[in-house]
Amino acid sequence: MFQFLFNKENRVEKLIFQYLDSFHLVLDHFSRALATCITRHQCEEFDFLMDQTHKYESKADDIIDEINNLMFSKALIPDSRGDIMNMLISLDKIPHLVERALFIIRYQGLIIPDVFTADIESLIQISLESCELLSKQVELFIKNKGGTRTVMGTIDANESRCDHIERRTISKLFDSDMDPFFKLQFKELVLVIGDISDQADRVSKLINILTLKRRV
Amino acid sequence: MVSLLGGVFLGWSLGANDASNIIGTAVSSRMVKFWHAAFLAALFCVLGAVISGQAGIETLKGLTSLNVNQAVISSVAAAVTVTMMTILGLPVSTSQAVVGAIIGMGILNSQLNAPGLGKVVICWLGTPVGGFVITLVLYRVLAFFYNKFSISLFDTDRLLRAALILSSSYGAYVLGANNVANVTAVFVGAGMITVSTAALVGGASIAMGILTFSRPVVKTVGSKLVNLDPFSAFVVSLSLAITIHIYTMIGVPVSSSQAVVGSVLGIGIIKGANTVKLETLKRIFLAWLFTPVMACSIALALSFISRLSYTPVS
Repeated sequence: MFQFLFNKENRVEKLIFQYLDSFHLVLDHFSRALATCITRHQCEEFDFLMDQTHKYESKADDIIDEINNLMFSKALIPDSRGDIMNMLISLDKIPHLVERALFIIRYQGLIIPDVFTADIESLIQISLESCELLSKQVELFIKNKGGTRTVMGTIDANESRCDHIERRTISKLFDSDMDPFFKLQFKELVLVIGDISDQADRVSKLINILTLKRRV
Repeated sequence: MVSLLGGVFLGWSLGANDASNIIGTAVSSRMVKFWHAAFLAALFCVLGAVISGQAGIETLKGLTSLNVNQAVISSVAAAVTVTMMTILGLPVSTSQAVVGAIIGMGILNSQLNAPGLGKVVICWLGTPVGGFVITLVLYRVLAFFYNKFSISLFDTDRLLRAALILSSSYGAYVLGANNVANVTAVFVGAGMITVSTAALVGGASIAMGILTFSRPVVKTVGSKLVNLDPFSAFVVSLSLAITIHIYTMIGVPVSSSQAVVGSVLGIGIIKGANTVKLETLKRIFLAWLFTPVMACSIALALSFISRLSYTPVS
């Protein structure tokens, strides 16, 4: 009935869900690009998917800028502004990591050796699962629904699994007789992909704290 | 009518100072724009004075009988006290200054309504206590419902903002109803104006103070309270309004500053945090003691000065 009084707030709410849509699209294109890269190494489709990932990552950045402008033109009360901004800034580090992983592959001409395919696939699959859960946790936080703690537990467990795979892969890499320069390049890629689940875990814990803070 | 100017000045300074207790949190936290809040506060203040201000006027005018001169002197004495206490940086209560000045005149006339005065002093003691207790109860009850229903972040935001606007308007209404007596009751007692005219003039002068000079005070006081989370800020605002409303029904003008301190202390107890510094409490206690004493002394001194006459030595 009084929705017209809260136009800016309604717009911010809409933009947050638009941001989550872009976030999903970034992850989707990243996953498809890596699948292409693993099965066929270099191909035109990879470039297209990388461009799409970049496009949606930029769109996500634009949405965050718009949310920022709206909130600091006095939409929402300061507490909510701070909470939403902190959450989005942390969350937005994930699309950046995703894009960086693709750039490493593309611009350093990196080919994932067959011996590491299974590990990299698991790392990506678990990281993406964490990101999906994280997106769900953001929705739960915005809608003030229960269950954020359970989601945080799963993301935390995923982060441990990713750390384990990351360490194993790097150890296997440096035990191999591959070119030392390649080893350093590949290690960087593994670390960047591993960072995705680490960041998801950080954001998840932040959301849990914000949820607790908002209780009275 | 010129004699009324002292009361109008007192009302103006009361509005400028006490508006911060009512709208400070909402404005400095940028939940509401200053002009929106000030306009609403001024409007509700006049409405409160006109609709519910009579009881307080009756109580204050019943404390003693004053002639026109004494009414003006007590009004000026209260205004001077408020100014001096503000310069000293002590949180001043206009109600205490006005009652102190009236007591001074009562002493001079050897005519003081002791039961009426007792009622007023008990209410002064009860103001911070009332704010404290109401906050404790209100916080628990509202928090129960707040946590029980899963309201989305955005709906909570809208709800809190609307609630704060409503509680501030309610606070302004009771501020007008309660404090109008401080401004014009003495003139009713002196037979200069009727109760309804006093309510209108008093309410309007408080509203003028809110609209013309409250902005800097609102910003200063509000920024000290803004550390409260939005829910606590709303509870403080509502508790303040309810506390003053209770005393308005009893018919005793009380200090909104003291009610706010009681409420903020209540929040501190609930949250286990130090919301009010010991130094602040000390200053409030000092002001609580000195304001009526100083106003009474100034009223007596002004009355003495007004009786002096120049006799040339032959």
